[in-house]
Amino acid sequence: MSKIKPAPLPPDTVIGGYRVVHKLAAGGFGVVYLAKDAEGQQVAIKEYLPASLATRTAGELLPQVQPEKLSLYRLGLKSFFEEGRSLAQISHASVVSVLNFFRENETVYMVMNHLEGASLQDFIITARELKTEKVFRESTIRSLFDEVLRGLRIVHQHKMLHLDIKPANIFITDDNRAVMIDFGAAREVLSKESNFIRPMYTPGFAAPEMYRRDAQMGPWTDIYAIGACIYACMQGFPPAEAPQRQEKDRLTLALNKLRGIYSDNLIEVVEWCMALDPLSRPQSVFALQKELSREGERRYTKLSVSEKMRMQLDSLITDNKKGAPKIADTTRAGSRAK
Amino acid sequence: MKFSVFQLSRRGGRQKNEDRMGYSYTRESALFVLADGMGGHPKGEVAAQIAIQTVSSMFQRQARPALKNVPEFLSAALLGAHHQLLRYSNERAMLDTPRTTLVVAVVQDGCAHWIHCGDSRLYLVRDAELLMRTRDHSYQELRNGVAPGLERVNRNVLFTCLGSPTKPLFDVAGPVLLEQGDRLLLCSDGLWGTLDDDTIADELGNKTVSQAVPQLVESALRKAGDSSDNVTVVAMEWETPNGFAPSNLRVTTDSINEEVFASTIQAGSLEGFVEEPDDMDDEAIERSIAEINDAIKRTAARKP
Repeated sequence: MSKIKPAPLPPDTVIGGYRVVHKLAAGGFGVVYLAKDAEGQQVAIKEYLPASLATRTAGELLPQVQPEKLSLYRLGLKSFFEEGRSLAQISHASVVSVLNFFRENETVYMVMNHLEGASLQDFIITARELKTEKVFRESTIRSLFDEVLRGLRIVHQHKMLHLDIKPANIFITDDNRAVMIDFGAAREVLSKESNFIRPMYTPGFAAPEMYRRDAQMGPWTDIYAIGACIYACMQGFPPAEAPQRQEKDRLTLALNKLRGIYSDNLIEVVEWCMALDPLSRPQSVFALQKELSREGERRYTKLSVSEKMRMQLDSLITDNKKGAPKIADTTRAGSRAK
Repeated sequence: MKFSVFQLSRRGGRQKNEDRMGYSYTRESALFVLADGMGGHPKGEVAAQIAIQTVSSMFQRQARPALKNVPEFLSAALLGAHHQLLRYSNERAMLDTPRTTLVVAVVQDGCAHWIHCGDSRLYLVRDAELLMRTRDHSYQELRNGVAPGLERVNRNVLFTCLGSPTKPLFDVAGPVLLEQGDRLLLCSDGLWGTLDDDTIADELGNKTVSQAVPQLVESALRKAGDSSDNVTVVAMEWETPNGFAPSNLRVTTDSINEEVFASTIQAGSLEGFVEEPDDMDDEAIERSIAEINDAIKRTAARKP
């Protein structure tokens, strides 16, 4: 099977009355373009063009779908519509909004607000480089995730799961809003046919149930990812992958190193969200919001000297066992599974 | 709908029986299915089981109580089973995929339709004569046809099956209006490899299915001896509404409730993935786009 990605539309192509400026991103489901409408307003346009089911040669407009893949292609189209339909009903500052939906070139396009700013992932990397004790201040983390959770709550109310929450999919706009992007509901259905579509989960942020086929996914699955995002904001690095944690869980150990730097409450929230057992996590965004917004004096537990010693020894032993920590693996806080 | 049905599978001289069979019915539709998992590839018995479970669960979902379009169902079911096999091996990162043959028949509105891939066969017998049978997707059957240069071939070599990386080839047949006493028989190559078509037609046509099937299986096993392949047969005898009932293993579906689904096939954990018929036609696409744009407008209007 060809591994060649379908060619994106070239700049200046006009689709549905929008002029393509350039490609912004490409994923399993298709391509996102920066484009301008008739008034010159910038928009982002997502083109349905699953790389595993459709091909397009450079310079062509129409994608080619092999006859035997047509039914899957159309199945994916259904999910693309589902994503559009759900997003169309949601109007929330923290959820990317859909402006238009149209059909052209024998495929479909979703027009969305174009956001100016940078992803949370970019912010984490920048902050991490500063090598300060804290990556972000606790108040910053709390207010950021308060915003994200408000949006996520609306999303869940519309019977939709994000399923790929990670710092790269949380966008911080230049006017200081946190917006969730990339609602690839299409991903969920398409991945059911894993012989055609690679499993789409992001190591570190994907809950353990996402690695299994029989498990029930729900709000708690997104909540795990939220916990992992908060962790990344505290550590500067993504947490260990769920399957790795199931073997040997060093999450508590890693979080203990942050005691005294971040409040006990915040650390407990992360542990709660990231419980391996879905039932032990907050079962709804509301439950998590309540805990995260709890006012009151923050308690900080300073570790005793002996505890610190024990922890250092502990990590020395385990690090030696595994060899030097792999730096290359963790330089990007959330690269997609290949 | 009235019919008699009998099924039997026996292990020959092989280590395991990789044949699977079964039937299911609702008030208005009956399904017969047989799969022969292939040796030379891993887990033939799993392949056969996945295939018949996929077909049966799609039948259960779509026959309510009748299938909308039988030929479409048959090809969708066969491809659905094929995709399940690919998925099975993919999930387990297997180097080679489990493979199987498949033959499926559906009787509905007094007519039979069938589909097959590989060398598991369907025989239609009327008045103790062979009315028709499927042509195997094997080089031997090609030789029997017109293709030259295939004088010496191994009957076991198939050019298509389910689970191979290339898309399966298959043939859909029907509708054939069934008459009183018509027999439909599905079998693995363990039967037809040993018994010729006339023997099968004669035995099946002159006895009730509950007598003919065990005898056919027994004589195939005996004739092939220690090296016998597994032998699996599902057969049904059709009765027109006013026909005389010759057998006590009769299924009468007329009195059963519309919701009832009966099956000899153990439902598997195929968890949901059953490909729906392709209903995303142009009209549906346009309708979806219009709905989404309406929703966008409504949401925009609500905005403060």
